[in-house]
Amino acid sequence: MDLHEPEVAKLPPRNPEPQVDPDALVFSAEEKERIAGYQKRYPTAEGAIMRALWLAQEKFGFLPPEVIRLVADELGVPYASAYGVATFYTQYYKEKVGRFVLDVCTCFSCQLCGGVDMLHHLESKLGVKAGETTADGMFTIQGVECLGACGSAPMMQVTNGPYIYNLTEDKLDELIEAMRAGSMPGFTSVTLPQDEDEMGGNRRTDIDEVAVYQTPPVAREID
Amino acid sequence: MEVTSSSGTSSGKATSNAGNWKEYERVLLPPVKDLHKLDVYEDKGGYAALREVLTGKWEPATVADTVKASGLRGRGGASFNTGLKWTFMPPVDDGPRYLCCNGDESEPGTFKDRQLMEYNPHLVFEGILIACYAMSITTCYLYIRGEYADWITHMERELEKAYARGYVGKNIFGTDFSTDIVIHKGAGAYICGEETSLMESLEGKRAYPRIKPPFPAQFGCWGRPTTINNVETLACVPLIISRGADWFAGLGAKTLPGPVLYGISGHVNRPGVYEYPTGMLISDLIYDVCRGMRNDKKLKAVVPGGSSTPPLRADMIDGICMDADSLREAGSMMGTAGMLVMDEDTDMVKWLRRVSHFYHHESCGQCTPCREGTGWLERLVAKIDEGEGNLRDLDLLIDLCSEMEGRTVCALADAAAWPVRYTLDRFRDEFEAKCRPSSVPVTQLVTA
Amino acid sequence: MPKVTIDNEVLEFDGQHKLLQLCLDRGQELPHFCYHPAMSVPANCRQCLVKVGMPKVDRATREPVLDEDGNPVIQYFPKLQTSCSLDVTDGMVVHTHRTDELVSRAQRDNLELLLINHPLDCPICDQAGHCPLQNQAYKYGPEGSRFEFRKVKKPKAVPLGPRVMLDGERCINCTRCVRFTDEISKSHQLTIIGRGVRNYPMTPPGMEFDDPYSMNVIDICPVGALTSIDFRFKARAWEVSKTPSITATNAKGSNCFYWVKDNRIVNVTARENADVNGFWLPDEDRLNTDRFNDNRPDGPKVRMGGQLVDASWDEAYDAAGALLRGVTGKDVLFIGSAHASVEDNYLLTRLAAHLNADAPVYVPHVVAGADDDWLVTDDKTPNAAGCERLGIHPADPAVLKSRLASGDVKVVYVMDDDPVGAGVLAANDLDDVAVILHHSHTTNTTLASADVALPSAMIVETIGTFVNTDGHAQRVRPAKAIKGVNRSLMMEMGKSRLDEHATPFDRWSVEDNKVSCQPGWEALPAIAGRVSLDLKFKGPKQVMAQVAADHSAFEGATYEAMGLSGVRLVESGAVV
Repeated sequence: MDLHEPEVAKLPPRNPEPQVDPDALVFSAEEKERIAGYQKRYPTAEGAIMRALWLAQEKFGFLPPEVIRLVADELGVPYASAYGVATFYTQYYKEKVGRFVLDVCTCFSCQLCGGVDMLHHLESKLGVKAGETTADGMFTIQGVECLGACGSAPMMQVTNGPYIYNLTEDKLDELIEAMRAGSMPGFTSVTLPQDEDEMGGNRRTDIDEVAVYQTPPVAREID
Repeated sequence: MEVTSSSGTSSGKATSNAGNWKEYERVLLPPVKDLHKLDVYEDKGGYAALREVLTGKWEPATVADTVKASGLRGRGGASFNTGLKWTFMPPVDDGPRYLCCNGDESEPGTFKDRQLMEYNPHLVFEGILIACYAMSITTCYLYIRGEYADWITHMERELEKAYARGYVGKNIFGTDFSTDIVIHKGAGAYICGEETSLMESLEGKRAYPRIKPPFPAQFGCWGRPTTINNVETLACVPLIISRGADWFAGLGAKTLPGPVLYGISGHVNRPGVYEYPTGMLISDLIYDVCRGMRNDKKLKAVVPGGSSTPPLRADMIDGICMDADSLREAGSMMGTAGMLVMDEDTDMVKWLRRVSHFYHHESCGQCTPCREGTGWLERLVAKIDEGEGNLRDLDLLIDLCSEMEGRTVCALADAAAWPVRYTLDRFRDEFEAKCRPSSVPVTQLVTA
Repeated sequence: MPKVTIDNEVLEFDGQHKLLQLCLDRGQELPHFCYHPAMSVPANCRQCLVKVGMPKVDRATREPVLDEDGNPVIQYFPKLQTSCSLDVTDGMVVHTHRTDELVSRAQRDNLELLLINHPLDCPICDQAGHCPLQNQAYKYGPEGSRFEFRKVKKPKAVPLGPRVMLDGERCINCTRCVRFTDEISKSHQLTIIGRGVRNYPMTPPGMEFDDPYSMNVIDICPVGALTSIDFRFKARAWEVSKTPSITATNAKGSNCFYWVKDNRIVNVTARENADVNGFWLPDEDRLNTDRFNDNRPDGPKVRMGGQLVDASWDEAYDAAGALLRGVTGKDVLFIGSAHASVEDNYLLTRLAAHLNADAPVYVPHVVAGADDDWLVTDDKTPNAAGCERLGIHPADPAVLKSRLASGDVKVVYVMDDDPVGAGVLAANDLDDVAVILHHSHTTNTTLASADVALPSAMIVETIGTFVNTDGHAQRVRPAKAIKGVNRSLMMEMGKSRLDEHATPFDRWSVEDNKVSCQPGWEALPAIAGRVSLDLKFKGPKQVMAQVAADHSAFEGATYEAMGLSGVRLVESGAVV
């Protein structure tokens, strides 16, 4: 936060041009069935809004107004309520984002253990500021609040999906290269220290990627 | 101010309330390969507690009484007696009743539920099912924060298996007890960890906390009786049933007994999630369990249970254990047992600035003191951090905390105010060092 | 009966009450913003905090614990409570800001917080002068602010729809507007967007806030965040008089305030009446206020040499009297008006009876399908039910035409309507007859056929009684002055702050925009006197007393009984 700059609440475009091709703005029969399935889990249709928005975001990549309206109509709930919900939660992308969204935790433990350094490294490497998307549409980078992996600081999440633990600048460089080549990181399991002592490490035999809790780096910057 | 750190080893004079913790055998996350798989879980006696309760024809009230007798207190931060909470549910009527299992885990410094769900999902399900039985509930919503997408997938996969094997769903173990578990995916909002806000989120609304009373047990999800318990709390329930309330009550600290997952992060050599009884000495956790401070630096501060709990100065942790009484005596709280350890090089002003930013960012904006106050707190701390503050601002910070505490719909404002109040109180010299001398008389106010 | 102690005063209460509402009902002010009696209680503004306690009860004996003086020991809640959400219970002890320093401190703190991101642009804000935030900040707020940072920037001057403008920065997030569209109008067009201090109400993209009741959110907005696109910047609150009356747009007779500046109606807002409109007004009741101001005739006219020329009121009355003198029975046709009051229509029936003419008829103004089962009706007149109760029924155009075609009719007397414009008569139907017309607009199409044209006072300029579609009889009061004001009108006029607080030496009263017109209850007796009928009453109040005494269909509908909220008449299809 810049001390001398006001905080700004932007006005979303009132009558925006649709960003999704009208012909593509439909749910398939299978998607409709899934949404109906979500609906059955709750006593009211509203209960399924969040899951249906997730489904829509996975399908369309983000949630422009016409997609939120599509979800609202599919569930038979007021469009305004669905829009209010979509703007409340940070993981719903109201605007178009890069192919990979790199959410670097800079909060609390990660702040003190190099999270800010990792974000700055990404900023200089990709030539964009936090909150921005690279010109080629590949990467959006953001500093985010605690992602609940504090013991593995610094860490980040990629596009609301996999967690990447114990970040270093080298690790980030490798990841970026891999992502440029189109590869989305997979799931990594974090081994418990007590498991390492008692069971020789990874307790899951169905997981290849494993991270261990390790001594966090010394942060150069924390703001 | 010279911050005196404890000796750098476990404090000799103090005694741990965790008993012989070095011999402790884990129960929430026992050392079993692939325990997350249903077959393995069953082999290791999984779902036996549920079977015992259902086929042994326990009265629901007996289950609740057993949990009450165990002394189990919530692991989500408030440390409220779980069995007692269950008894708040009104008598059964024709309408639905709900259990919400709170896996929102968004309190900075807290990362234990994620590991528990990954490594022992069926223990969570079993706890949910027993709790449902105890309160005659037929639907449980397991609310997991949206960021935990991979663990949601994991839990859904395991839940499907539990359904397939008849542990969840209709007529469990051939009895007339039926319960559904629904996994609800959040989408990024700290406030959803607050129980009433979680219910609003489940109902598909903007997650604004509700005023209490009415309490969830009277007017919860969709206006029906509802109980909300944390993931780890419910995971303790099958253990209490199978091993007995006395076993549980005798483990760890007397007033907050049982096993607990300590999530330790920050400037220690080996951070991580550790399972031990409650009542561990903070110094044992840092210097023994976590193998000491990184680079042998001196300890400066410890936040014992998530960002909302007041930080303790190094000289305040001597003999202090991770339990309700000991931490209250020290001037903090157990919270989620998500502990942040900070070394002597930590800039507490910058740290508080970031913490305040968090609460500002996560305030839902529903009610005045929090919506307005969290931003003001952040700006004031930022102003001090940037060397533009003066001593008057420190008083204003404290005043502002008083304006927020206890006056809002939920406890987020308190959670935002406490770190400010106590960091300022306990590290005041660092704040004063960044302040410039006040040139403005205290009485001169900026006109509204 | 259960008792509650509020500020050391014990009072008995009955039934379920929220503490705030109980205090408000007793005339005891507690500052608040988000609470609205018609909507759910979110307790989000946190302004109405009070200290609340209950007598301490000994757990063993279940007896109240007493102190040394024998008074019950009160155990206070550890936190202050929002009075809006608190159910009053027996034995409760409450301290408001009047008796507790902590409460007044909390209220002051809360206002300081509410104002830190509020623009404090009262000098250019329409709400200033009648703004709950402004008023309560003055009464309960701090003298200054300690906030010295840049305020949050939010969208300003955003038209949410055709009628409502948003200033996001002024919003205090009380959510009244959102709750109105969710719970009351059920249009679900508004939501709060964003989170935290960036929150503000908005429609989702691509949606207009065109709810036919949208403007109610302007009334209930406790700050200047939502203003009327029609009214904004037209007048300051202290420049206008606000007269309690009813709307004339349809047959619901919703209660309203007419806002008048310089003798022009500039705004219409809702006035609470649980029996009629609750707290609400449809947008159609609020718009087109210029119909009261523009195209108004200025003084009577009489046809001379084929032209309507200006006349004095006496000349005009003489001319009308001359036309009526000697006509009787089938020679004269009376058309009353569902736009006019019961009093005026009653006087007209008396005049018709005096001349042995048929009872008057009225011109119906019905828009089929407009009815929304709430505050909008098909009938676009305010007093058709009053006419019916007087025995005045809708005109049958075929009957009228055949009467006129028969050649018997020599005079048509039209009160406050435009039968030609309404299509009940054609202009050429009136070619061979004399027409006496009470009219309120120069655009009245029947005016071209009139021989005597008498400008009449509109509903906002007169005193009278109107009966709504549910049989609720209500009074209207003069909101704007007319030329040559009658004493009764003067006494009933709505007052502005200047009227009330300025000295006689302040030259604030304006003569502009006063219309030279007369209410029916002045004009009709004047004309009746010229055909030997004494219709003189002291004023409309006495006319109505006569109607209520004579006709069972109006039983009880005296001015005293009707007061500000009207009386429900007995169900009646009764013909007087």
